[in-house]
Amino acid sequence: MITAVRVELLKLRTVRLGYGLLAIPAGLTIVFSILEASRAGTRSGGVAPLNTASGLDSVITGGVWFLIFAAVLGVTVSSGEFRHQTATATYLATPRRGRVLAAKALAAALGGAAFGVAGYLIALGIGLGFVAAKGYPVPIGDATLARYGAGHVLAAALLAAAGAGIGALVRSQLAGVIGVFVWTIIVESVLGGLFTSARPYLPYTAATALAGAPLGGGAFGPAHGASGAAGPLPFAAAAALLAALAAALCAAAARTTVRRDVA
Amino acid sequence: MAAIEVRGLAKRFGRVQAVDGLSFEVARGKVTGFLGPNGAGKTTTLRMLLGLVTPDAGTATIDGRAYADLDEPLHAVGAVLEASGFHPGRTARNHLRIQALAAGADASRVDDVLELTDLAGAADRRVGGFSLGMRQRLGLAAALLADPDILILDEPANGLDPDGVRWLRDLLRGMAAEGAAVLVSSHLLAEVAQTVDEVIVIDRGRLAAQAPLDDMLSTAGPGGSLEEAFFRLTAGNWGAGGSAR
Repeated sequence: MITAVRVELLKLRTVRLGYGLLAIPAGLTIVFSILEASRAGTRSGGVAPLNTASGLDSVITGGVWFLIFAAVLGVTVSSGEFRHQTATATYLATPRRGRVLAAKALAAALGGAAFGVAGYLIALGIGLGFVAAKGYPVPIGDATLARYGAGHVLAAALLAAAGAGIGALVRSQLAGVIGVFVWTIIVESVLGGLFTSARPYLPYTAATALAGAPLGGGAFGPAHGASGAAGPLPFAAAAALLAALAAALCAAAARTTVRRDVA
Repeated sequence: MAAIEVRGLAKRFGRVQAVDGLSFEVARGKVTGFLGPNGAGKTTTLRMLLGLVTPDAGTATIDGRAYADLDEPLHAVGAVLEASGFHPGRTARNHLRIQALAAGADASRVDDVLELTDLAGAADRRVGGFSLGMRQRLGLAAALLADPDILILDEPANGLDPDGVRWLRDLLRGMAAEGAAVLVSSHLLAEVAQTVDEVIVIDRGRLAAQAPLDDMLSTAGPGGSLEEAFFRLTAGNWGAGGSAR
């Protein structure tokens, strides 16, 4: 299994797609976090001052762009084999397809973890830079910042593994990638806005909560900032939800599409 | 034991019976041609042999075991099935590094097979810019990485220039002389006639004939060619020599 994971990681490292998927959220996070930091504490900004935990949270939330792209990375890890017809060579080397899928999910998770690290460091760096520039003390304790960091890494890794399951299920890279964006940007926004009690359990929302974003803070549209009685899932519960989702998607793929003929 | 053994293999895709009760054996120390018209079921048969397509009935084994049950499949079997199975954005060297890692082959084999297939000069180019012939060579390079003693090749001469065809012929003959089993499908009958020791002809998913090349040629009459024998077989006129159905 270790060799199979190393093979999948080598595949990831030897094409440009992964680096491109890393660059896009990096740009988005830089823009989003700088905008939030610039608006913090201003009358029209709607963002709390940077000498408050809420204000710095808003800036760090910019790193959740990497969570979406970690899921996209996962989709490409498995669906790319069919897009480029490389599944034949992969299954000739490792005929046990369940093992291939498990290796892909693990490799995607490791790649996703790197996305989580990048997202957190960029967003945190911008936030702390603005805090320091304004001469404020850091309003969030070290333990909480460490939990946010761990949450970014864990959330991105688990979403990437889930993405690998989605890619194996749909096989079409385009459909899988579009599906991830539609789900995170449209479906969760609508569902989260309409059913606020269910909002904490939506996968992308749970991932952003795991990364330390306020409930709905990483969401789009109606779900963004929508108020409701339900609070964010606790760290362990959010991690368990995402792990269960990734396992369920991979298991479903292993029992269905992964067994199909490679003709 | 035959290196490759196919028994009663069958596969249907929707309304099309692609392979229909096919049986044959491939021995070591020979190059065996696998011939048939378009749609005869050659590629489906090879894919079932390699565990990529699940048969509806029958068995296909390599050294007595299903491909999926081989301990180190790439050490046992080198296969080239399609010239398009490469990520276009990956270099040839990186493609082979991945295959070598997957096969458990020594990384130094990458340079060896790049030299062997005359791709050393293009090793660090992305495969998306390769010609069909270069892709075929890259496929062969990957198949040879783990030094297998069974080769299964689907139309490997497609896109190769005359030098490449000669190189391929010498490679396959050399491997068979060292005791390897080589099964090669092709439409290039004149080239097949110069390369193979044994011929398997299938038509509409069934075995039309399996015979040594010389026996096959003798059925076409004095001075007959493999092409004439092939057309007679696939028109249902095979009647003498070999193990015709």
